[in-house]
Amino acid sequence: MSAGPASAAGRARRTELPGVLRHVRPRPRWTEARLLVFAAAALAVGSLTLGTTEDGRLRFAQPTQLLVYLLALALAHGAQVVAGRRTDQVLLPVVGMLGGISLLLMQRLPQDLVVQDWFGGEVGLATVQLVWLLLAVAIATTLAIVVRSDAWLRRYKYTWAAAGVGLLLLTFVLGTDVNGSRLTLEIGPLSGQPSELLKVILVVFLAGYLSENRSLLMEQDTRVGPFRVAPLPYLAPMVAMWAIALLIVVVQRDLGAALLFFAVFLALLYVATGRVSLVVIGLVLFVLGSMLMATLFEHVRTRIDIWIDPFADPLGAGYQVVQALHAFARGGLLGVGLGAGLPTVGGRLPIPEVHTDFPLAALGEELGVVGLMAILGLYLVVIERGLRIGAAAADDFRALLAVGLSLVIGIQAFIIAAGNLKVLPLTGVTLPFISYGGSSILVNAVVIGLLLALSDKGVEPPPPPTPPRRGRLRRRCA
Amino acid sequence: MDGALALLWLLRLLFLFLLYLFLYRVVRALLHDLRTATHEATAELGRLVVVASPAGEPVAGTALSLDAITSLGRDVNNSIVIDDPFASAEHAILTFRGRGWYLEDLESTNGTYVNGTRIEAVAPITFGDEIQIGQVRLRLERARR
Amino acid sequence: MTWTSAQGPGGRRPLGRGIVHVAIVLSVAFGTLGAALGYWGVIRATDLSTAPDDPAVIAAARTVPRGRILDRDGKVLARNAKDANGEYYRVYANDAISHVVGYASRLYGRAGLERTYDAELAGLAGDPIADALRKFGATPYDPKTLKLSLSLDLQRAAVRALGSHKGAIVMLDPRSGEVLALASTPTYDASAIADPATSAKAFQALLDDKDQPLLPRATIGRYVPGSVFKIVTAIAGLGSGAVGPDTSYAEQPKAEKDGLLVDGFRVRDGHHPETGSKRLDFVDATEVSCNIWYALTGLRTGGANLVEYADRMGFDKPIPFDLPTAVSQLNDGSGSGPGGFADDVELANAAYGQAETFVTPLQMALVASTVADDGVLMTPHLVTSMTGKRSGTRTIGPSRMATVIDPSVASEIKAAMVQAVEGDLGRQFTSGAKIPGITTAGKSGTAELGGSGEPHSWFIGFAPAEAPTVAIAVIVEQGGRGGEVAAPIAGDLMARWLRSGS
Repeated sequence: MSAGPASAAGRARRTELPGVLRHVRPRPRWTEARLLVFAAAALAVGSLTLGTTEDGRLRFAQPTQLLVYLLALALAHGAQVVAGRRTDQVLLPVVGMLGGISLLLMQRLPQDLVVQDWFGGEVGLATVQLVWLLLAVAIATTLAIVVRSDAWLRRYKYTWAAAGVGLLLLTFVLGTDVNGSRLTLEIGPLSGQPSELLKVILVVFLAGYLSENRSLLMEQDTRVGPFRVAPLPYLAPMVAMWAIALLIVVVQRDLGAALLFFAVFLALLYVATGRVSLVVIGLVLFVLGSMLMATLFEHVRTRIDIWIDPFADPLGAGYQVVQALHAFARGGLLGVGLGAGLPTVGGRLPIPEVHTDFPLAALGEELGVVGLMAILGLYLVVIERGLRIGAAAADDFRALLAVGLSLVIGIQAFIIAAGNLKVLPLTGVTLPFISYGGSSILVNAVVIGLLLALSDKGVEPPPPPTPPRRGRLRRRCA
Repeated sequence: MDGALALLWLLRLLFLFLLYLFLYRVVRALLHDLRTATHEATAELGRLVVVASPAGEPVAGTALSLDAITSLGRDVNNSIVIDDPFASAEHAILTFRGRGWYLEDLESTNGTYVNGTRIEAVAPITFGDEIQIGQVRLRLERARR
Repeated sequence: MTWTSAQGPGGRRPLGRGIVHVAIVLSVAFGTLGAALGYWGVIRATDLSTAPDDPAVIAAARTVPRGRILDRDGKVLARNAKDANGEYYRVYANDAISHVVGYASRLYGRAGLERTYDAELAGLAGDPIADALRKFGATPYDPKTLKLSLSLDLQRAAVRALGSHKGAIVMLDPRSGEVLALASTPTYDASAIADPATSAKAFQALLDDKDQPLLPRATIGRYVPGSVFKIVTAIAGLGSGAVGPDTSYAEQPKAEKDGLLVDGFRVRDGHHPETGSKRLDFVDATEVSCNIWYALTGLRTGGANLVEYADRMGFDKPIPFDLPTAVSQLNDGSGSGPGGFADDVELANAAYGQAETFVTPLQMALVASTVADDGVLMTPHLVTSMTGKRSGTRTIGPSRMATVIDPSVASEIKAAMVQAVEGDLGRQFTSGAKIPGITTAGKSGTAELGGSGEPHSWFIGFAPAEAPTVAIAVIVEQGGRGGEVAAPIAGDLMARWLRSGS
């Protein structure tokens, strides 16, 4: 072969980070456009309902906010069209719809639930949430367009892991206590919950690790009793990383995040190795761990007690759950209408922390079983999209990454919805895109952005699989 | 039932209806996507037709399906097992990246040949090119449609 | 270098399979969420959204006027008043009705009929159509006005008759089961509890009161019945055919002096030397309230029969009624003999109303009602109709609770009970129960409590005996002899009722 093909081969061997503007070719995205129109129509009518309920005559509730939000979605759509990215066309409208519902809900709740001081003026709940949503749309779109290579994720997994754990330790030491759990880290004017970001970092690490060592995990065994389990030296750093994260999270009293991490971990392990035995062992560990925590920690026991029978203490520990169930009951099949639910008790909302922990109950009362089924359906769609992106991915890392990311959103939504409905004990995780909370929305936006990037059909193909050498693991750890 | 109440009922039902209409359109897009994807998944990326195989494995004249990444060699764990005494255990890798096919020699003992020429490391190949591994010759062809 | 294929011969496909499995698990998980949603939003929707601690209900209670409660003549027993904030609270007509109507208080919840019919009075529950239409209405609530069979007049008279004694009176119409009066003393001021200004203090004072004025003795009080229980024995004995109206016992006259020996225990009787050594039959024994005769009858009837007939009239379970009721019992059920009696001694003693027999006044009124209505027991009830602005009037009619004995048996017992009030000897025990000009039937009871206290004074009866329109049970706690205290009260009240032209 001449020098040409050789240098071409050499060029092809290195994975490059191409510039943002390369391969820009505007492409129409009709499906996404149509879906966005439908979403906008539904949200507009929702806003109309809210405004009319509040005011008595026909008007929109906070039309400016809705218009700004829809404009942001339109711009996001336009940006992807111009950039010509062949990313998934369903994710943005669905997430946009969820965000719109969130906006309507925040507009409906009393604005003084959250008051921030920005630029000298006071802004209330809906405005703050709107800003987060706009940032989220921007982040997701930027990631979708700009991220063309996954090398930065793929190569430095241990670095990412260390950074994540480090951030969490920082929170534990320097963080501020909110409601008994130390979840928030405040640096100057910014405050956030690093455990949200840790979810994504964990998924990146797991995807990288599992895809690299997948064959070994599948084929070589050690014997643990009657089971044949994956080789311990390879499972060990993974379990260690997970155990550290879990321990810190449990000490921070964030049970929901612990459950989420564990569920995502088990799911990815199963997808990567196909070995049910690992899942079984994991579940056994989970049961043992829960029993241990229930005996050791009183707050865990309380949570489980009010899960089993919240009506035993309807005015004390079980108050939140009981009120949420009452809200679903009042909603019935069709709901009482946006803005018409949540009868005040002495001027206060009946459900405490409704904007963070129980948005589903508020929506359940106002949109009914019918409306809430649709919202749950939307989450299923997000999961389905993520899993399809995973199934169609070019290599194992991307597949596991996509699956992990979609599970992060999907399992989290399931956990909090189940807590609202007394299917699982109540935990403090947020409902992605609908709950109030900057950290939650922004991190989920990162997730969606990465999923979109992974779904791009024209993206740079993954590097050829490098054979895992036996000494590889030791070298990395050294 | 007065007008204001009727209007509110109308709006509430309309919102629920539009919510479901949106969901319906989304599901339709999903199913459409699913159908085209299955179509794509069953379509091959390409094939290798065995031109000559003195050792007998793989059998001459057969067409072997290709994935995006296909490994070739004497070891049984390869995607395509080439049971030839002159082939190495892990001999070569054939990958489809971007828009083309690339053949990479994995430092095999006897080398990998494209159209008679020994390749160094990675070389691009196209449909019609003939690969030689050991004594086995294979030709890269388009997928069957 | 050696390497094994990073992907294996299967390539991507095993990964895909795992993804499908995860998808299935998640779909099932979300499916359970949908099911839970259906459960809370549809199946449990009505009972949760109408529960008294639901915030919407609490809000409604303050802003929607609660349904009124009226007596049988339309007199208002419970109505609404507005406080300083324009929110409603309850006001009640008289202390006499407190145990029946109860109270509806913001702090202390509901009691009595205010509690049993809370959903109707608040206007939340209704028929399903009304519920569905309710959402379309401007005011979603349709409070119902309750009409009771109670007579305020009679109720007040009953409470007055008990005076400063602790006790209870139950009067009902045996033909329909309608309750005409249900008095318990001491009574209390329900309005003080319902008025937000005085609520806390009044309630605390009532809780501290040793006499337990909040206790609805007529329905919840359990007492030793004494001789009034003999009617139950008579019903069981004659109803089962173990004895007949002519049954008499040879050993009975002698046992009057020496006591009846049952398994080493002596059943004593000391009320009636007037009968001399005559062998008493059923009517005689009832007229003089002969313990010996009844003890022997109880033994002959057997524990199983006794319990069975008693159970037909409502014993051993809560009585179906508009208010909560306590359970009346013949024994504590721990005995191994038939019917739960430990041995014949207990059976013999229970047959004349001592031993571990405890009854509520309401239960004894039902016993009287059974005999009065030719052996058929009608279910007692207080509420006769519920009227809502939107839903109209719904009448609640009489319903049969059980057929206890044949009319022929009932007429035998009736005759005996008439004799107990109007017979030459009977008159001496139950003077005062007889209503002038009207054939009155009844049975008095003096329930010994053991120890040094006065016995309970009991009376059950009905009038006019030929076609009874009122049945009564009276107990005066530790009031003394039944004939002397409870009987005159019963007579007066029945007379008052019959005079008023029911």
